[in-house]
Amino acid sequence: MTNKIVSETAIQPSALSRWIKSISLTSMAPLIALIVLLILSAMVSDHFLIPRNLTNVLRQVSYTGIIALGMTFLIIAGGIDLSVGSMLALVGVLVIMILNHLGDGWMAVMIAISAAMALGAFFGAINGWLTTKGKITAFVATLATMSIFRSFTLYISDAGEMVSRNNLYSDVGTGYFLGLPVPVWVFLILAIIGHILLRHTAYGRHLCAVGSNPKVASYSAINVSKVYFLSFIILGFTVGISAVMLSSRLNSISPGDAGLFYELDAIAAVVIGGTALSGGKGTIWGTVIGAIILGIINNMLNLSGVSPYLQGAVKGFVILIAVLMQYKRAQ
Amino acid sequence: MNKTLNEPILRLENIRKSFSGVQVLHGIDVTINSGEVLGILGENGAGKSTLLKVISGLHQATSGSVYLDQKQIHIKNPAVAKKYGIAMIPQEFNLVSTLNVFENVFLGQELKQGRFLDKNKMRERTQALLNQLETHLDPDALIETLSVAEKQMVEIAKALVHDVRILIMDEPTTVLTNQEVAVLFRLIDKLKAQGVTIVFISHKLKEVKLLCDRLMILRDGHLVSIEPVAGLNEQEMASKMVGRELNQIFPEHSQASTEIALQVEQLSINNLLHNIEFKVHRGEILGFAGLIGSGRTEMAEAIMGLRKKNSGKVKIFNQNVTIHAAKDAVKHGLAYLSEDRQGSGLIMNFNLPENISLISLKKYIKGFIQHKKTTESAARYSEQFAIKAPSLDSELQYLSGGNQQKVYLAKWMDTDPEILILDEPTRGVDINTKKDIYHFIHSLTEQGKAVIIISSEMEELIGLSHRILVIREGKIAGELVGKEIEEQKIMFLAAGVNDKTPRMEPIL
Amino acid sequence: MNLFKKMGKLALGAILLTTFASQSAIAAKYKVGVSVPSADHGWTAGLLWWANKAVADFKKSDDDVEFYVVAASSGSKQVGDVEDLMIRGIDALVILPLNPATLQNVINEAYDSDIYTVVVDRELETPSQNVFIAGDNAGLGTVSGKWLAKELKEKGNIVVIEGMPIPINKQRVDAFDAEIAKHKGIKILDSQTADWSTQKALAVMENFLQKHPKIDAVWCQDDDMLKGVLQAIKESGRTDIKTVLGGAGSKDIYKMIKDNNPVVRASVTYPPSMVASGIALAVAGLKNEKVGKMYHTSPSRVILAAELVDKHNVDAFYTPESAY
Repeated sequence: MTNKIVSETAIQPSALSRWIKSISLTSMAPLIALIVLLILSAMVSDHFLIPRNLTNVLRQVSYTGIIALGMTFLIIAGGIDLSVGSMLALVGVLVIMILNHLGDGWMAVMIAISAAMALGAFFGAINGWLTTKGKITAFVATLATMSIFRSFTLYISDAGEMVSRNNLYSDVGTGYFLGLPVPVWVFLILAIIGHILLRHTAYGRHLCAVGSNPKVASYSAINVSKVYFLSFIILGFTVGISAVMLSSRLNSISPGDAGLFYELDAIAAVVIGGTALSGGKGTIWGTVIGAIILGIINNMLNLSGVSPYLQGAVKGFVILIAVLMQYKRAQ
Repeated sequence: MNKTLNEPILRLENIRKSFSGVQVLHGIDVTINSGEVLGILGENGAGKSTLLKVISGLHQATSGSVYLDQKQIHIKNPAVAKKYGIAMIPQEFNLVSTLNVFENVFLGQELKQGRFLDKNKMRERTQALLNQLETHLDPDALIETLSVAEKQMVEIAKALVHDVRILIMDEPTTVLTNQEVAVLFRLIDKLKAQGVTIVFISHKLKEVKLLCDRLMILRDGHLVSIEPVAGLNEQEMASKMVGRELNQIFPEHSQASTEIALQVEQLSINNLLHNIEFKVHRGEILGFAGLIGSGRTEMAEAIMGLRKKNSGKVKIFNQNVTIHAAKDAVKHGLAYLSEDRQGSGLIMNFNLPENISLISLKKYIKGFIQHKKTTESAARYSEQFAIKAPSLDSELQYLSGGNQQKVYLAKWMDTDPEILILDEPTRGVDINTKKDIYHFIHSLTEQGKAVIIISSEMEELIGLSHRILVIREGKIAGELVGKEIEEQKIMFLAAGVNDKTPRMEPIL
Repeated sequence: MNLFKKMGKLALGAILLTTFASQSAIAAKYKVGVSVPSADHGWTAGLLWWANKAVADFKKSDDDVEFYVVAASSGSKQVGDVEDLMIRGIDALVILPLNPATLQNVINEAYDSDIYTVVVDRELETPSQNVFIAGDNAGLGTVSGKWLAKELKEKGNIVVIEGMPIPINKQRVDAFDAEIAKHKGIKILDSQTADWSTQKALAVMENFLQKHPKIDAVWCQDDDMLKGVLQAIKESGRTDIKTVLGGAGSKDIYKMIKDNNPVVRASVTYPPSMVASGIALAVAGLKNEKVGKMYHTSPSRVILAAELVDKHNVDAFYTPESAY
């Protein structure tokens, strides 16, 4: 046995080289795309590399980016959630109501933020409950809750814009820390937590197993429903945080259009980042890059004066390219 | 028995077939006579299905020739077979459950009027066929509303749309109740009277005896005999099916202890299992024999908490345990190697360490997963089992079946189990890997672990087991211990005949 | 796989290069950013048309001013648009905020960094601009009320179709209700919102026609919605409705007035061209020029009168080439 261990270490270098090879060819694709895009953008617009512009892009990206982190978990588990945009508006409206009820001061802000996270997790749990206990496919269940959440949002706010009367709340979303906007910090910190959760904990491993083959997972003593359910809660939690970031940045929330089409942007970021919609495999850093790519496309087209109506087309092309690359990879 | 019995219709000459180098049929010569019912018997893997698939065009023979009415024919695909009047009713029905009966009967052979479907004509023809089969099926009934037997009728009707001369049925009775079997047999008699030749595969010796004119017995891809059924009794049939020496790939049995590791009492599942009771001791290998569908896998799944049971107590080392989910079973030292390695065993896009540590992940967590430890552990297993993989980091889908099976074993060994249930542990595995696995199972018993083996390979069960329980139709049909273990006896029990205590059940 | 990667890069590169080519790199003295909602209904389409018209006109007369016109589909998208305009170093911002509260913070930022800011149509809760230009929403309600009362000869039943539930709508409806209250013989039967959308107005009017057997007049404050209303009346075959009044002044409705339509006899202005005037005010403000023949530079508040347009003065307002 002991002499066999030696031969085992002998295969390590080849494994390492294989790893490097596989990384450079496939999983690095989003990063390469990002670098190409950065270079192109810098060429197209003189304004692009202004630090303030870069922090602006990151801040614009952070709202959907935070949701995309949670979406990565759910999509890896084999699910999808179309309700996140409406959920964001609903949490946003409720948070401002809570805030205005509590009045001024940091205490009120802290309570409101905690409430946002709890509410997000709760709405996520509703989706999770519908899909695991109710046995409704995630697509259909969240299509329904998308409509329900938006409707409740409009109803409780009377379709009017909700403005925060707390004097400190907007500091959360507009503030800077060490040169970066607060929402960007939140985005990056959540990304690191997400990465650790996905790669270095049993939950992350179980999530990949469930998304890849739920039957194998259940035969491997994994509670499939629980893992799936939790991924909905994680997503809801990120939606809650995103609602805080957005509503504090604007110091208000507009029930009709807050979070509109965020579900599509979040899913697009996940897909561009190399996570397969069929589940089972994906990375958080890929999603971060995917979100940034989407943000840069928007920004660059705006800066270079392209018709805003064409931006959607460019976004669409990028998604198609990402999926085509995945498809080729799968072959 | 029949006046046209001696007229040959189909002749097979020296049919050979191999799959990726493995010879499955070793030169079969058979003549099938028109209007007869020819039974085919053989163990799993004897080559019955392969032979029939060659005749019906699903497989191509590697060499050999087929003659229909003395003329050589080439059956390239099922459509060509149909043209020659050869149709097969598969074990798994090929029906579209959301379409109705007549749409299925004419699926792929729709009648048209101009550019449009001629539904009325198809409906009429279907009705005529169903009348001919004397069933009261409605041509407009949806397939999903039909019983299994009714679906089989639809399959038969589908085969009869074209004038069929040879109808091949692959184990048609395994899915039917006794009453339905009676209906099917009447139908076969009627078809025979109309001059149709029937080729009939079954595991049930009684049925073969009752129904067939002649019987063909295959073993390991060789033709053992083909003769009139009248001169054979069931024991002779079974002996001819088996008749093989066990070779030396099996290690000596180790000494079993008297300590009971696992005891199962009154285990029942609706319509599947009835009051199963058994014990297995430390250091013992208990084999479970039975035909496909006899309920062995379901029994294992129920013990593991993967399947709901109606009743049943499980004791582990004399302690009553409650198992609601696989997690509980693992906690009590149970392991279950499923028969479906790819469908329920391994995550194909995980690498070796990820797969091996999937169940035992807790061991590797100190705050976070210690990836280095999982890799080291995977390296140890790949040494121990001689797993051949491009690297430890390879996804499982790039490993051969045998190496996947070893990884699967390693995955369960990493949970440090005391009682292992191995369901078809060597399915789809080459002979050398089989030998490795057998010796490994033997080593488990030497470590005092209890092992249950569910297998359809007689040789494997006999070579490994201290004791064998035979399951038939969800019940324990008998127990064989030590010297009693013989292939014939197992076959008798599994097929429903026992030389000592005849337990004939009237099936007709 | 490599092929796909290359194709992808190629496609991206091509798109980017065309955008680069479309960008003329003339150094301008002044840069004006114009941010409006994207054209989701007739009035906003008119808005974009007038913004582009003003830009085209200025290109002819003032070649030292460069314009960037952007349109956003949602409030938070518009925030991003304004941030990007600021990065491009605009000297003036002309903005019609989709949702004033959503845009408040970012307009503050622009105004605080010395960008000459013109807010159009929708007023911010906390004023943060050099100039505010809008139509007279209350005036629109009052003028409409007066005209309808006169046409109905102080007697009859009216149904009201409202716009989106935002402050502008409330100002109009409140003023209208206040005016009608002065005329004792006129009764408002019903009032519901239809978001300034033709389809929704059609549905709401269909319901009204079912519910109320006798309607004398309809007030719907917007000519887009009026088209839906007219369609509903036509389909119902009802003849009791003798008068309908929209508002804001679309060219199609002006054409009807010109052609002596028996029920459509007037409109009240709320012109999308206000964004063009906003752009003019921004340029004047930047250059510190006097406005027209006035003796002052840009005023801080401009409210465009709600004018009644009927067949006597319709020719002065009718712009057939406009988008609205």
